[in-house]
Amino acid sequence: MAKLSDAAIAGVYQTKQGILTDKTQPSVWWECVRGACEDAGISVGDIDGLVGDGPSGVGLRDMMPAPGLAELLGHPIRFHARNTVGAGAAGAGVNLAAYAVAHGLAEVVVVANAVAGQARGYGSANRDEAVATMAKLSGPYEYVYGTTRVSDYATLAMRHMHEYGTTAEQLAEIAVAQRHGATLHPLSVNGYRGDITVEDVVTSRMIADPLHLLDCCAINQGGGAYIVTSADHARSLGRHAPVAVLGYGEGHNHIDPNAVESLTEFQGAKVSADTAFGMAGVSRDDIDVAGISDHFTVGVLLGLEDAGFCKKGEGGSFVEKGGTSLTGRLPTNTSGGFLSFSHAGMCGIFTLIELVNQLRGDAGERQVNDASLAFLNAVGGAQQAHAAAILGRV
Amino acid sequence: MTTTTTEYNKFLPEDIPDSQMPFWESLKAKAVKVQRCDNCGAYLYIPKDICNKCYHTELTWTPISGHGEVYTYTIVRRAPTPAYQEEAPYTLAHVTMDEGFRMIAKLKGIAPEDVRIGLPVQITYEDVTPEWTLFDFEPAPATTG
Repeated sequence: MAKLSDAAIAGVYQTKQGILTDKTQPSVWWECVRGACEDAGISVGDIDGLVGDGPSGVGLRDMMPAPGLAELLGHPIRFHARNTVGAGAAGAGVNLAAYAVAHGLAEVVVVANAVAGQARGYGSANRDEAVATMAKLSGPYEYVYGTTRVSDYATLAMRHMHEYGTTAEQLAEIAVAQRHGATLHPLSVNGYRGDITVEDVVTSRMIADPLHLLDCCAINQGGGAYIVTSADHARSLGRHAPVAVLGYGEGHNHIDPNAVESLTEFQGAKVSADTAFGMAGVSRDDIDVAGISDHFTVGVLLGLEDAGFCKKGEGGSFVEKGGTSLTGRLPTNTSGGFLSFSHAGMCGIFTLIELVNQLRGDAGERQVNDASLAFLNAVGGAQQAHAAAILGRV
Repeated sequence: MTTTTTEYNKFLPEDIPDSQMPFWESLKAKAVKVQRCDNCGAYLYIPKDICNKCYHTELTWTPISGHGEVYTYTIVRRAPTPAYQEEAPYTLAHVTMDEGFRMIAKLKGIAPEDVRIGLPVQITYEDVTPEWTLFDFEPAPATTG
């Protein structure tokens, strides 16, 4: 029977993350796809599958990206699918790409995320427009009161502090560890700003209590892509160690934050992780490096707990003293994550690509020793939709 | 083009389906009602088409006490638009109502720094335009039972 690990990620590519207003979404999409193909040693013309967005357009071109891509490539696209894990979608898309390849629905599947140009709404390089657009995503029963994406997560953090004694300093440890990773990644949006301390985080401007400016993700543009083909094909290309999905799971949880029992414990995150670990047949202790959606520092804390890397409520002590740093007990978001690497569009793709780099041994100064198994958590919304994957070399 | 007689320039509810209008009309009448499941008695908020406890679809708009306590909150210092920023810092609260469900709104009438989880609060109403009334929370004496 076909299994996800019959397919593998053969190529990856990322642009410099930042402000790409002088480019367009299609130009960055193609830059990323071409780059990922070159990394894999595969011709762009061999692409016959697409997950998620193609080069943007108007009307049908956006609604039906695969025909648009087929037209440009001059042959039919044999597979297209999307998932609905929000910002995590392009990372979680590795499941659909691997599924298509493993089942013979396509041979070379591309997944790309590109945000550039004079994008409107949450892709805008204009911070005020991006913030206002994202605020309205929550719907009228919340946005009339002036909620924001930060306030959505701040209420989770406040409750976690209340229930478990989690501190602002503990949350800050996450930002400190990730910034250091970003300083070691030349494409990161915030690496040039240099290292930060816990003191820097907790004295940075409060945005929505208890989250400070440095607890929050960047607002920036950028792109990334990866290529999935059969593990045999990837191996025969001889470029890199093929990285496969050993286990995968999703857990779509809620839309209304007032309609779930708890705002500190998310069943969807647990289910996604349990499904992924069960399929892979490995345990939490086997994981060498993690990528956990970090729109805000508290997201990492919740992700660690709900995925079972520590008990509920013990996330604070887990991340203390650099628990998620490059030399910590579970190096997490080693490129800097959304906080310091990039928060462009479906930014879960960057989380995934960093794990691929780690598993290949290509992470340079960020390399985690003997990284052979990785855990990916991709989140859409404020802990509303979750995907989890276990990645390893095949 | 129509203009309203008010200068209210914050977000107003948009795209509310007719089936959810009884909630907004109850705010306008300053006597809040939420859906209650005819089968299991659960209160449902925000409005739903099916009970998320027992999956029945017979739901009745039912008055509530308007009292509850703060489950969690935040103080917004960076607001979504300039109009909201004029009010900042303001408190947003998730409140567990006496009937056992949660609602989200602004918490007014108390300095943001004094807000605590567990604070007893009650609903108040604010006519923001001739068409729309919103609800807020304000501190209330503790209720029993």
